[in-house]
Amino acid sequence: MSKQYGFYVDTDKCIKCWACEIACKQWNGIQAGTVARRKVHEVTTGTFPNVTRKFISLSCMHCANPACASVCPAGAITKRSEDGIVVVDKNKCIGCHYCFMACPFGVPQYTDEGMEKCDCCIGNGVTPGDTPHCVMSCPTQALQFGELAELGDAVSQMTAAEIVGTPLASANATAGPTVTAATVVMTPDELAIDDGGEKVAAVNSNGC
Amino acid sequence: MTEKKSLTRRTFLQGTAALGALAALTGCTSSSLEEAPVNQEAIDGGEVEVRHAWCQMCGPARTSCSTLCYIKDGRWVNVEGNPAAGNNWGRGSRSLCAKGQAAMQTIYDPTRLLYPMKRVGEKGEGKFERCTWDEGIQAFADKLKELADDGMPQALGMLSPQFWPVLAQMGRRFMNVYGTPNYMHSAICASQRAASKRISIGPKADCAPKQMDKTELLVIWGANPENSAVNQGQPANIVKQKARGMKLIDIRPMMDQLTSKADIWLPIRPGTDGALALAFLNVIIGEDLYDHDFAENWCNGFDKLAEHVKQFSPEWAAEKTGLDAEQIRTVARIMGTTKPMGILYGNGIGDQQNDGNWECVSICLIEAITGNLDVPGGGGAGKVAPPPLVKTSAIDILTDRMPESDIDKENGFAPGVGNLVAPEFPRWYQGPKTWESGGSTAYYKGLMSILSEEPYPLRAVLGQGSNPFGATRQPKNVAEALKKLEFYVVVDTHWNSSCDYADYVLPACSHYEAGQQFATKNSPAGTFIGMNQQIQEPMGESRSDWDFLLDLAVAMGYGDDFWGGDMDECLREQLAGSGITLEQLREANGGIFVERTDGAKPTDPVYQNYGELFAMLPNGKVQCYNEWIGGKPNCMETGELGFLPEYSGPPEGIAETPDLVEEYPLIISDVHAYRLCEHSYYVSIPYLRELQPYPWVRINPATAKKYGIADGDWVKIESPYGWCKLQAQYFEGISPEVLMARRGWWQSCEELGLPGYGSLDGGADTTVLYNTDIEKFDPFHSSMAKQTLVKISKTEEGEE
Repeated sequence: MSKQYGFYVDTDKCIKCWACEIACKQWNGIQAGTVARRKVHEVTTGTFPNVTRKFISLSCMHCANPACASVCPAGAITKRSEDGIVVVDKNKCIGCHYCFMACPFGVPQYTDEGMEKCDCCIGNGVTPGDTPHCVMSCPTQALQFGELAELGDAVSQMTAAEIVGTPLASANATAGPTVTAATVVMTPDELAIDDGGEKVAAVNSNGC
Repeated sequence: MTEKKSLTRRTFLQGTAALGALAALTGCTSSSLEEAPVNQEAIDGGEVEVRHAWCQMCGPARTSCSTLCYIKDGRWVNVEGNPAAGNNWGRGSRSLCAKGQAAMQTIYDPTRLLYPMKRVGEKGEGKFERCTWDEGIQAFADKLKELADDGMPQALGMLSPQFWPVLAQMGRRFMNVYGTPNYMHSAICASQRAASKRISIGPKADCAPKQMDKTELLVIWGANPENSAVNQGQPANIVKQKARGMKLIDIRPMMDQLTSKADIWLPIRPGTDGALALAFLNVIIGEDLYDHDFAENWCNGFDKLAEHVKQFSPEWAAEKTGLDAEQIRTVARIMGTTKPMGILYGNGIGDQQNDGNWECVSICLIEAITGNLDVPGGGGAGKVAPPPLVKTSAIDILTDRMPESDIDKENGFAPGVGNLVAPEFPRWYQGPKTWESGGSTAYYKGLMSILSEEPYPLRAVLGQGSNPFGATRQPKNVAEALKKLEFYVVVDTHWNSSCDYADYVLPACSHYEAGQQFATKNSPAGTFIGMNQQIQEPMGESRSDWDFLLDLAVAMGYGDDFWGGDMDECLREQLAGSGITLEQLREANGGIFVERTDGAKPTDPVYQNYGELFAMLPNGKVQCYNEWIGGKPNCMETGELGFLPEYSGPPEGIAETPDLVEEYPLIISDVHAYRLCEHSYYVSIPYLRELQPYPWVRINPATAKKYGIADGDWVKIESPYGWCKLQAQYFEGISPEVLMARRGWWQSCEELGLPGYGSLDGGADTTVLYNTDIEKFDPFHSSMAKQTLVKISKTEEGEE
């Protein structure tokens, strides 16, 4: 593979403004009340007044070894060799939901047209590798996009010290995501780590 | 399973866990001016057309964010921030907020008002039939001539909740020519805070930092930029400076999104901020944490303030605010010792509390006596930008045409102020120097003159782009006033909840359909000028707000003062001398950027320029002891204003009215701004309504469970003054004794099949809950409480 593009989510900067969600919908022509290729999630922990809120904007992870593509009986899902973007061919999709079952992130959603998910905006005319609209729209620059190698380099330079000795290093809650090797980068965030469900009080997609 | 709207908790957590192994990255900016915005091929090939518009999603006629609008097959399909204009963090920014991203849906909204309507039934009954624009305008003009013939032009009031240019410029010009001063301003506004600042530290001084890159401590206090101005620079800058190491203290009842980034959160009881501010002064002065040099040289009556605040201990404030006394003391010490410190205070305080004036004065005094005014990173002290390269002018509002009465002359009032039906600020304060835009009447008090007939009743009211059921408190009383009012005209894009009481309802188009306003943005790189290009013909028979006022003026015989009714001529006058013609602007699809070529850069101002900053203040000093307003009549003319900050607190509160607490044990307030709406508008917009389908109230789960209320249950909320029904949303980031909601649910969303809700008792509007005893409003600037006590019980959606 020559390149792998991915997203970077800075949870310290995300303010759950929902601009990315709506940017995604308007540029991909998605009707309100149907699917959402990108969602801003919230993790609230603790009880008043010792409360922590974290916001995480997520879409398809464009995995290195996409489980969705492996299980698709119709061959509708492809990982593009030139840029690593995972795309779905709705003409081939038979709506069987195998990909949803296989995806460790629960990303695939469905309309009458077929499976819906992020394609880094290449379907709406953005040149592959250029900035998708969700990232372009982000008012706090919390959401970024680029070659994973570059994002990863920057991460290792900036925060290597912070990663060592945090729960992040052993954060693999399930085998799934590790095997599929998601290509999204996030700020170190112990609160987003599930230690058996104890820490996490609430995960909301809407509200406040 | 045919669709799955969001990730489940399980799948989400799996995702975040895996991602955690990677980590942070800072300083990467992805946007650039060069990068292709969108399918460039389609634009080049003519399939897609790009036009320029100022985003109006933060209010009619706003010009904060320049946008590029993409039109395909005659339909506006996409929008993005214009990178040439210098939005948000500056040139190159293509960002837009959630509202801005949904702008297309406002013009295609199936609930738009399309035809002029005339009332044929009783007021409030909702029986209307179609009429023509000419009929509506002529009827209004006839009524205005009748008032003038009666010698009572001041019996016309024009509603303007915010200073939007249509009314603040064109409307004000009309009022000055016609002869009414009753510009009815909400008193829930930044101008309340601005006046408190003016009388305490001077109009040119500031508490918010204008060089935040040097700020060590930022205190967000009742400000809500992550909801009210998402794409206007502040949220982006705050999270950036936080990453740099700036400390953040947040004082708000709810843990809002920026609160969640703060080092310290003070979850204050709504309406009690004045007590906290006084306790901060108590500690800062009492523990000798103030700037002695500043106090000695630049404070008027510092010793009197020092003596006065001795009574306001942290323990005293703890009882009022619900905060811990030691925490108050700790935060006061941090504010007294961390420099430079800026305080970003906003609409949540100041203009939404009965004692908003002293509250804001106290905050200004904290910033001043800690020596933080006009230092880099402290309050104000912005760099001086190079001058704009394109100079345009505003519409002349013809102030000199307002007749000056003998009362105005004798008292030094601005012309017309003696005739105000309910002065928003004291008449003596509304002089030509302090209130140069002309007199103003407080919105709610002005409407109540219809019922009280004191000092005279308003007889005609224009509600243009303002819904009086949402723009002020207690719509029941507003409805009674509108029932009695002789003539009420509405000009709006939608059938707002007050329209049933109107005589005529005229359909306004959006500014996206009008193409009648431009604005500039100046930056070190150059000056941007852009026009609202018409994106499509006005829907139905809707017409622009500007044209309505021009047509009304012509019908009144004022054509000579109103460009013969031609808005283009008005625009040409504003552009005269700019070097840019109206035709050039109309053709410039991305706006026009005039690059700075002389190499001029922003320069450092003269810091701590106190002589000039305080020149307007008595004795040229910060008013610790306020000799500007002290001893002078209040705005009601029922008594005198004091010299030193006082706390009165909310009209109903846990500490303030203990007798009420047994029956009404919880405090409620509502968010003034929310990032998916503009005041009471936009829950009809599918992309926005999807994210908040039902009228919500935030409640601590412990409280909810006590009342048997599950997450998502409907809750009946009753105050001593009214009741409403909202849907409970569990939230840990709120005190168990506090509820927070959002007002304005009258619009339905057809695409999602979601209803609108009533604005009166039993509806979904918290505004029915609040005390509106005029005697309790702020005696200086008329702000009214937005907090009260309530009881709650589980209920069902729908009518009772």
